Amino acid sequence: MPFKRLDQSRPFVTLGLALAVWLLIPIGVKTFIRASFFELTAPITMTASYARDLQEYWGLRLHSNRELIEAGRDLARLNASYELSVQQNSELQAEIARLESLLRLPSFTEYRYEHARVARRDFSGWWQRIVIRKGRNFGIPVGAPVIFTGGVVGRVSEVHGLTAVVELISSPEVRLAGVVEGDSRPISFQGGINPTFGPPSGVVEFVPLDIVANRNFPKRLVTSGLGGVFPPGLTLGVITRLELSPDALFQAGEVKLDERLGSLTEVTVLVPLNPE
Amino acid sequence: MPLPSTNLADRTGGLLESHKGYDPRIVFFYFILAALLLTLAGGLGYQQLSQAGRHNDAERQQNQRRILMPGPRGDIYDRNNKLLVGNNHRFSVLLHLDELKAELRREHVRIRKNYLATGGKDDLPKYSELEQISRVTLVQRYLDQTNAILHRAEKVDARALRRHFDRQLLLPYPLLDGLGDEDTAKLLEHLPVASPLQVYAATTRSYPYGSAAAHTLGYVRPDEEIDAEDFPGDGLTTFKMKGTSGRDGLEKTFDARLQGQAGGRIYRVDPAGYKINPPLETRLPKRGQELVTSLDIDLQLAAEEALGDQRGAVATLDVATGEVLVLASKPDYDLNEFSPRATTAAVAKMNETGAWNNLALNGFYPPGSTFKILTSIAGLRRGVLTPVDPIVNCDGWLQIGGRRAPCYNGIGHHHEILLAEAVAQSCDIYFYSAGLLIKPENIAAEARRFRLDQRTQIELPGEQGRMVVPEPAQRVREQGEKWFDGDTANMAIGQGEVLVSPLQMACFVASVARNETTTLPTLLHQADRPTQHTEPIGLSPAQRAALLDGMVGCVTHGTAKHLNTIAGYRIPGVQIAGKTGTAQKRVVMDGKLGTINYAWFICFAPADKPEIAMAVMIEGQTIGEELGGGLAAAPVAAQVLKKYFEKRNHPNRPLLPPFRVP
Repeated sequence: MPFKRLDQSRPFVTLGLALAVWLLIPIGVKTFIRASFFELTAPITMTASYARDLQEYWGLRLHSNRELIEAGRDLARLNASYELSVQQNSELQAEIARLESLLRLPSFTEYRYEHARVARRDFSGWWQRIVIRKGRNFGIPVGAPVIFTGGVVGRVSEVHGLTAVVELISSPEVRLAGVVEGDSRPISFQGGINPTFGPPSGVVEFVPLDIVANRNFPKRLVTSGLGGVFPPGLTLGVITRLELSPDALFQAGEVKLDERLGSLTEVTVLVPLNPE
Repeated sequence: MPLPSTNLADRTGGLLESHKGYDPRIVFFYFILAALLLTLAGGLGYQQLSQAGRHNDAERQQNQRRILMPGPRGDIYDRNNKLLVGNNHRFSVLLHLDELKAELRREHVRIRKNYLATGGKDDLPKYSELEQISRVTLVQRYLDQTNAILHRAEKVDARALRRHFDRQLLLPYPLLDGLGDEDTAKLLEHLPVASPLQVYAATTRSYPYGSAAAHTLGYVRPDEEIDAEDFPGDGLTTFKMKGTSGRDGLEKTFDARLQGQAGGRIYRVDPAGYKINPPLETRLPKRGQELVTSLDIDLQLAAEEALGDQRGAVATLDVATGEVLVLASKPDYDLNEFSPRATTAAVAKMNETGAWNNLALNGFYPPGSTFKILTSIAGLRRGVLTPVDPIVNCDGWLQIGGRRAPCYNGIGHHHEILLAEAVAQSCDIYFYSAGLLIKPENIAAEARRFRLDQRTQIELPGEQGRMVVPEPAQRVREQGEKWFDGDTANMAIGQGEVLVSPLQMACFVASVARNETTTLPTLLHQADRPTQHTEPIGLSPAQRAALLDGMVGCVTHGTAKHLNTIAGYRIPGVQIAGKTGTAQKRVVMDGKLGTINYAWFICFAPADKPEIAMAVMIEGQTIGEELGGGLAAAPVAAQVLKKYFEKRNHPNRPLLPPFRVP
């Protein structure tokens, strides 16, 4: 009878042994195993991603010619307005460069743009991150800022051979220095505790007392450019609530982030040209 | 077959003993055992039941630690709610030592191994030394992280670190202090969220107007004496984060009101003293109360600007309430240099210039001819002087005893002069004669009536009592010296031994403006503060009219006529009643004996319906320097009055561009 009981507990014993072995394995080996796991699963992730792209492609093929013509026309208009913006932007860039040289200011870090498709999205109480389809093969470094049309996406936290993991700004693991649009004093922004299907949000600290923001009159929070990681002026979100901090020196509050963070398909990694 | 009855002891050869009944000796031991057990049980009961509280306390004392955090101080405003003293943030990077426990142990082991590998056991430092080495190495490693981010080369102060570990282990260790916005932003972006290194914002006092009203506002210094009222854990080992306490000026007087309510946390700690999260008890700090002063910062700035680099003081009061509008003293110091603490260079500069002294409060000077107002009142009240009787013919000199005393204000020009004109022209001969007629005891009594022999009781710390109202009897009694007519003459014109402060003279002239004897100054603003009512001076309307005529004449055509003749000083539609004064004092300066001048001007305006009263005093810097009340002090008063009436007549016009010290 006791032998039978021992036989029944074999799975638990095996599990215990496996855990014990894992605990005893040196850290270097564990890191190697973990990295290898990512490299091994990367093709699967990418294949699934490509399959999804193909599915979207065939889905788009089903649109009528009329719809395609309308979409082409809208796109042409959009391109025209972007062209205008690009011209204005070039003008402003030249002006900034002139002022920087006049005031002998150090210029902001310059970046190379690396566009990447999103291969996988992890949104849960534990993870707030995405996996993109570019990694070391495109020279993406750890810590590089990632953006999309709505503003900041996050920062690259892990880089593998063919993929990279981006920690989203909705994650509590991401903190950066922002400023309220039109102001120059840095504010600490950090991702919040976000429920799995809830709208993404973050928190701000060190907000000066003269800044007023609420749900009716939200203030746009943008990157400061002072921290050296993100270029200035990229949208982080909008401050929707502020309250006095206990020391009465600053305000702390809530930032509503772009809901499109949950459905990203394409992002841009800003690869610093002259990393420090 | 039954066994034969035998004694077992016999058979076993004495190895087995048999006992019958109870041995009395055994019983005795039972009692002793019972007594011991009872004592033990009693002791246990005593400790468990009656001493439970004490043991609980001891356990708490051993296992719990209390951290007290100061509350931010309250702001100080001027009467128009302009911020005079506020709080500013100061970013720093703190290292949470309690999170380094395991890392510290590993570092200790690593360093020990290195020593053993390189030098053997003989070279191995003592345990405490190894511990210090590992602390410094580890903290330096974290500091290097911030150095790499900020491109700095900071080093750990080993002594400060040891002190922190010994005394304040529960508090985070400040690695870098006073970070700018850019450095703060860089650290926020580069430091991992879960790092023991964290950016922290502390409060420091900020003074938007720099040195304005420095002596009145006062300053604070870091202080660890935090009062945590009704926060539990009195008996626990307590760590206090540095707060501040007022050390001078209003910051000191109203320290209790401005101090915020301290917050605190109680943590359970492990045997090594590292805290275990979360805290058992938390109370957030609260900000201190606000203080609204009676100062008007626009007038204060006008006064200080008018004083410029001169050494002097201005005291301005609201005539009705005694609220102090201006209390300026030069030289002064930039209060921001005290925040968070004054540098040695700044202190040395203040010592050299004497900027610590609040001349408006604690500068005691002979009042010179401004004292003639008091002499006039003494004479008028006693009937010795009348508005219509000339008492002397001023031909520039008066023989007093064996000495010819000159008229310092226009020798040979006054001739037969009446009281009003004597005040306007500040005729010394008239007031020498008046003093001799009034008698020194009566002048002294009048000065005491106006409280010139007492502290003003303003809400500032350290008001000295060095004011002097001399009296013949007192001099004979205390110094054994005789009182001469020359002393009386000197006293009548505010010379000799008379010493008063600018604030006292401001109170005096405010009292004269109200036709009363006492004005108690206050630095607290109260919108509905009632008018002060004290003992009337006791002059008839004609007497008062003559006195006021003299004071107005002083400004229109007398010794302060520049206020009327120079367009820049003139205030259209406002009649000023004033009195100049130029006092001399013999001093030894750079080994040379000589006389330096003190220029005075006291006034109130409008003369017919007084609102504002003021005393200005400017100290001469060198021996023999020409410095007169009319030329040096009166223009300062004019600038302040101008600003006052400009504000009163155009309340909504911005007077000063708002500025802040960066």
